[in-house]
Amino acid sequence: MSFISKPVVHHPQLGHNDLGLTRRDYEGPISTLCAGCGHDSVSAAIVQACAELSIPPHRFAKVSGIGCSSKTPSYFLGNSHGLNSVHGRMPSVTTGANLANRSLHCIGISGDGDTASIGLGQFAHIVRRRVNMLYIVDNNGTYGLTKGQFSATNDKGSTNKKGLPNLHEPIDLVSMALQIGATFVARSFSGDKRQLVPLIRAGLLHEGFAFIDVVSPCVAFNNHAGSTKSYEYVRGHRDDVVMADFVPTHEEITADYAPGEREDVLMPDGSTLRLRKLEETYDPRDRTKALNYVHDKTLQGEVVTGLLYIDPDASDCHAMLNTVAEPLNSLGEAELCPGSEALDAINASFR
Amino acid sequence: MSAQVSYNDFVIKFANVNGSGSASANGMFAKALFRMGIPVATRNIFPSNIQGLPTWFEVRVSERGYLGRREGVDVMVAMNAETYEEDVASVVPGGYLFYDNSKPLARELVRNDIVEVGIPISEMLLPEFQDPKQRQLFKNITYLGALSALLNLDFDVLKSMIGEQYKGKDALIKPNIHALEIGRNYAMEYLDCPLRVQVRPSDAVGDRIMINGNSAAALGCIYGGATVCAWYPITPSTSLVEAFERYANQLRLDENGRRKFAVVQAEDELAAIGMVIGAAWNGARSFTATSGPGLSLMSEFLGLAYFAEIPAVLFDVQRAGPSTGMPTRTQQSDLLSAAYASHGDTKQVLLIPATPKECFEFAAAALDLADRLQTPVIVLSDLELGMDDSLSEPFVWDDERRYDRGKVYTAEDLDELESYGRYRDIDGDGIGYRTYPGTHPTKGSFFTRGTSRDENAKYTESPDAYIANMRRLERKWQTAAGLVPVPEISRSEPARAYGIIYYGTTEHPMREALDRLAEDGIHLDTMRIRAFPFSQAVFEFVTEHELVFVVEQNRDGQMETLLVSEGRLDSAQLIGVRYFGGLSISADIIAREIRDYFVENKLARISEVTS
Amino acid sequence: MKPTNVFDPNYFHKVVDCQWACPAHTPVPEYIRLIAQQRYTEAYMLNWDSNVFPGILGRTCDRPCEPACRRVRTEEKPVAICRLKRVAADHKGDITPYLPRVPTRKNGKRVALLGAGPASLAVARDLLPLGYEVHVFDKDPGAGGMMRTQIPAFRLPIEVLEEEVDLIMDMGVQGHFNYTIDSMRDMLDQGFDAYFIGTGAPRGRDLPNLPGRVESGAHISIGIDWLSSVAFGHTTSISGKVIVMGGGNTAMDCCRTSMRLGAEEVTVVVRSGFDVMKASEWEKEDTIGEGIPIVNNRPPIKFVHENGKLKGVLFQCIEQVADENGRLESVPTGEPDVFMEADHVLMAIGQENHCPWIERDIGIEFDQWDCPILNEETLQSTNPKVFFGGDSAFGPENIIWASAHAHRAAISMHLFCQGEDLLSARPPEGVNLISQKMGMHEWAYDSAHDPAQRFIVPKADQKVALSNIKVEVELGFDEELGLKEAQRCLNCDVQTVFTENLCIECDACVDICPMDCITFTDNGEESDLRGRLTAPASNLEQDLYVSDELKTGRVMVKDEDVCVHCGLCAERCPTNAWDMQKSIFHIPQLGSSST
Repeated sequence: MSFISKPVVHHPQLGHNDLGLTRRDYEGPISTLCAGCGHDSVSAAIVQACAELSIPPHRFAKVSGIGCSSKTPSYFLGNSHGLNSVHGRMPSVTTGANLANRSLHCIGISGDGDTASIGLGQFAHIVRRRVNMLYIVDNNGTYGLTKGQFSATNDKGSTNKKGLPNLHEPIDLVSMALQIGATFVARSFSGDKRQLVPLIRAGLLHEGFAFIDVVSPCVAFNNHAGSTKSYEYVRGHRDDVVMADFVPTHEEITADYAPGEREDVLMPDGSTLRLRKLEETYDPRDRTKALNYVHDKTLQGEVVTGLLYIDPDASDCHAMLNTVAEPLNSLGEAELCPGSEALDAINASFR
Repeated sequence: MSAQVSYNDFVIKFANVNGSGSASANGMFAKALFRMGIPVATRNIFPSNIQGLPTWFEVRVSERGYLGRREGVDVMVAMNAETYEEDVASVVPGGYLFYDNSKPLARELVRNDIVEVGIPISEMLLPEFQDPKQRQLFKNITYLGALSALLNLDFDVLKSMIGEQYKGKDALIKPNIHALEIGRNYAMEYLDCPLRVQVRPSDAVGDRIMINGNSAAALGCIYGGATVCAWYPITPSTSLVEAFERYANQLRLDENGRRKFAVVQAEDELAAIGMVIGAAWNGARSFTATSGPGLSLMSEFLGLAYFAEIPAVLFDVQRAGPSTGMPTRTQQSDLLSAAYASHGDTKQVLLIPATPKECFEFAAAALDLADRLQTPVIVLSDLELGMDDSLSEPFVWDDERRYDRGKVYTAEDLDELESYGRYRDIDGDGIGYRTYPGTHPTKGSFFTRGTSRDENAKYTESPDAYIANMRRLERKWQTAAGLVPVPEISRSEPARAYGIIYYGTTEHPMREALDRLAEDGIHLDTMRIRAFPFSQAVFEFVTEHELVFVVEQNRDGQMETLLVSEGRLDSAQLIGVRYFGGLSISADIIAREIRDYFVENKLARISEVTS
Repeated sequence: MKPTNVFDPNYFHKVVDCQWACPAHTPVPEYIRLIAQQRYTEAYMLNWDSNVFPGILGRTCDRPCEPACRRVRTEEKPVAICRLKRVAADHKGDITPYLPRVPTRKNGKRVALLGAGPASLAVARDLLPLGYEVHVFDKDPGAGGMMRTQIPAFRLPIEVLEEEVDLIMDMGVQGHFNYTIDSMRDMLDQGFDAYFIGTGAPRGRDLPNLPGRVESGAHISIGIDWLSSVAFGHTTSISGKVIVMGGGNTAMDCCRTSMRLGAEEVTVVVRSGFDVMKASEWEKEDTIGEGIPIVNNRPPIKFVHENGKLKGVLFQCIEQVADENGRLESVPTGEPDVFMEADHVLMAIGQENHCPWIERDIGIEFDQWDCPILNEETLQSTNPKVFFGGDSAFGPENIIWASAHAHRAAISMHLFCQGEDLLSARPPEGVNLISQKMGMHEWAYDSAHDPAQRFIVPKADQKVALSNIKVEVELGFDEELGLKEAQRCLNCDVQTVFTENLCIECDACVDICPMDCITFTDNGEESDLRGRLTAPASNLEQDLYVSDELKTGRVMVKDEDVCVHCGLCAERCPTNAWDMQKSIFHIPQLGSSST
């Protein structure tokens, strides 16, 4: 962590978004995580993505569970409300937040401990429930705050700092999400914002549940030789399948890839998600193939990254619940209270 | 039991097999009495099982309006061979045993001091209905028909109820009426009708309604403006949420049929309360309903909501614990775990309704209080109150009433503020001003967390800041004590020497018990506690009496513990009267225990009463 | 791009923009830090080493450092470097223990310094501690040169001037005052081992051919001559309406002095536009602040007089129009000429160095503009014994340049006197880099960026100031303000030093950098790289710091342009691949307190 706060001063040529705001307007107070923590890069990517989307910085709801990852919502989008809840329960709190006010963009931040262990149940169910949110797991394969125990996503055979191998099979959250029916599934790497930022933007605009598993190395406990979640290992074993380039509504789409290489997906708000296939045969709209591909590559020790699956026609839980368009938290007595006359009728029905 | 005819005053108990379709027939029976203007209270004593285990339905019929449980059964409708023995045993001397005599009653079950009323129901139905399942269902209707003759029920009322019950499924009306008539005709033809125990139309019901507390609470949530409900099914709270959804679907749709509410069945209780907290944090009125095991699961989240100061409304419809306990039996045994739900110095606001009307009112009040106090509010109901239909005053809503959303800054408020601090105690009542997420572009945002923070919501581990915060929460607790429903006190002037404290559904047998005690010359000042934190009046009631009985439906005297510890009272002053067998406490138990205490301790009775 | 060699002294020196811009390369951040630590005496001596006249310069310097200050590039006003120098001078303690020791036993070499202005005095200071016998010759009765004659007392109190001048004189300079130098040949004949010509640019420019100039000559003065006459008390008043012609600092001094000497009305009339006036911004501001109008785009046509009695000046009306190359051209507007009344005109339209007394046949060659031909590095003239400095060297500059020249000339004279090669034997420049890390997140300097705006220097009450030429207008920062202003310094001398083989490419530095200076990317040509950075590096005057290839094949590229040296990159770096290291430049110089 740092002792001084990040100065307000910024680059004089720092760009402004459509709201006239700079990226810095989307930051939060300085991080108290360890220096070099991948999670801080994820926060920075969120800041950049949100600024680029020109969503007012107070129109987000940030929710997290417990752990290093879950501290991060206090380090980005300082003008948004955040709720650091209890261990493994971010999904339920976010569900509630989304039910209350569907007009806010919900960002849920969790870690591999928070999601793949105590919170595995809630993770599975929020996928099923299709809550319109961006769910990011800062996945470092280790318990940082308690000093380096293996987490459930740690690969079998990957060693801890003392060189002892992990004996258990890992839980692959991406595969789980695919299996349970998530409509936007991606994996990325904290050390690659060129990939991560467009994914976050697309995830935020995706109507429904968007999941990004971000391998985010823990410099303090899981960045040594022998770890499969280190900066070096991930850089050396990445298999990028689909680059997602995000094209906002008002920007003209220019064809800069050879035909067949790219595919444009219309997002709900009218913007376009441009998919650039780095792996020719990969089809990010085929759930089963995506699952198989991830599975095969995992066996080969590869970390598949990119936009792994998208269902552009997805819908969210509000659609399923058939709720009104206005945020529920904006409804007052007039809309909510049936009044005394109706109550008299109700009384009568109990006679 | 005298040989005289008695009207509108008996206990009838139906012994059935779970899943045999008896519930609707039994319900119709009670409703028919209610429609005749006779006060009734029902008790469904059912097993934690879907099909095949014994279940009982008890109806207290009382012209005097005693709605609590009374020991002893006047009319036993014994329809479950498995429980014949205990059912026969529970009939009071001179009472009636109504049974299906298609097969003779085993000799060992025969009692000379009761009247056997046998009807060959199965035998009569065998030629009528081919399908065994149908036959089973119509058996219930048949005994209902017989009872209508035996007890002198208004047959038209019954028939009209069949019509209501199967409205829209007209094909079912005819066979049901037919079954009803089979029973009735048999009784009229072969039995002495009516019995000495019978009913007659009355006007004792007045404008009261018959409803259960869960439905009432659900309506309270509708009227109180709850928009988000997240829950996990658990007996006996399930019907609360189901009722909410049902009413909301009737009352809360916009012109396009879209819902002005959201009900989410969560994967478990943890998720349910998590959703409630998330929604409330984001400015929606939200609630969940659960029972003891759910409360335990929710405790961590309740601690978060207490410390992070997020409103939440939780209905704990109590059942018999510990652990899974007796899931379908009633108790008042979550009091302590609710009051102190979660680790650390946590205290939760409790509202304790006694009647469906209070369920309605406290539900709406809980939503207001949670917003006002920015803390969880737990409505402690119980299985008996929640699930059993009972007479209740009709519900009233003042159309001028406005929701109290508590201290919430709007964007305009924030514009005028120089600086904002979430946990600043500006008004001295321990309650800060919240903002809803997304309110203002640059002001009023804060990070909500379960870790310690200063008054500006900034993380800190400073001992001073921590203590100041905990002290403020204590001030808020004092504020809460002044806002929650006051106790219902009945005392003479000057106060009598002895008082009695009770709460929740103990209200029902209490009137009867007090009347009986009075007949024995025992007069008590009474106080029904309706909320926690306790107001000063609660403690004063104890201190101004020599002895106070505390009646509760748990083993350990949880209210007694709470009173002693919260009020620093002398525990010797408090005498526990407790019942925790899973049925609701009866007037008999209360009266007997107190009378025994008076006798054993040679306490003086009021002189003017004859002993 | 090739990896940056951070051990090249000039690489990081350029990053310390203020020091780089200072002709004397005063270690600005270092002395500001000393001020921040209230170590005024040390701050003063650090200045004295470099620029010789901290008290004087703290009031009068042209401040080339301030426009260079990095704060300007972060859209702010520069640190008040000049006024902080004065803070050091105003609050310093006894400096005697820090002064260089001048040997009583001389080295046998005698040098002559012509002119007793800042350049000569600085040469004297550098050479005296090495045992030289130093003789100074000047036409004026005392030392100080233009500092004494051209800068009015309301800007530079005489005590301040004399303190710093006397400090040098008292080191053992043999002064020859009221000494009219009229022949260089004669001077050479006196047989000094080396000569330094620091006679400045004493001739004010005139407009001899402007109609009426000759006839009304009695009412027209050359600005610097007039100021000098005021300085020595020969002129004590001026009356009526005064027009000051010219747009430089001398013009500003002339008009403000006129105000104080009783002029009824003073107007500055400038040939050029306001923006391109030579006067420093703050001089213009002060002038306007004292209620003196500045009229621009008015070249004079003639002096209007009646029988030799000046009536005023007729001016043409012009405007500045950009030609096709974007250069500004003066074009008449066609408006009627403007007549402005005047009883007196002060002409401050420029100065020339003027050495008519140097015979042109004694081996000192002059170029077509009548400037001596010099080796720019050594300042040696074509006569090996003769060195030039200050305004005499390359035309009118300012005091800080005089100090800078003097250091260079002194080294040359020393090497010359010792018979060594002036170029190859010059002491080299160098740089030391010293880590400033003191703890997990504690640095030896105040790394936090202070967003405070530039503090305003308090001034004397204007009424009082305008009534007395000796009342100093600026009061200087008091201690409190000085400390606050010192905190605005970005400590640009504390460098971000990158060690490739420690980097794990975690992006922590990229994410935390408030200025978006840092990028990890594929290498490329500079022009290509500049466009691919986190924030485009458009300031071509500022270098890119490029690392060697990293494990991923990428390089680290840091745009030095707007780095605020907050140290957060180093603080967030988990492997110490970034470190904050103070760069200390060794700029060769004689006779400093440290020698």
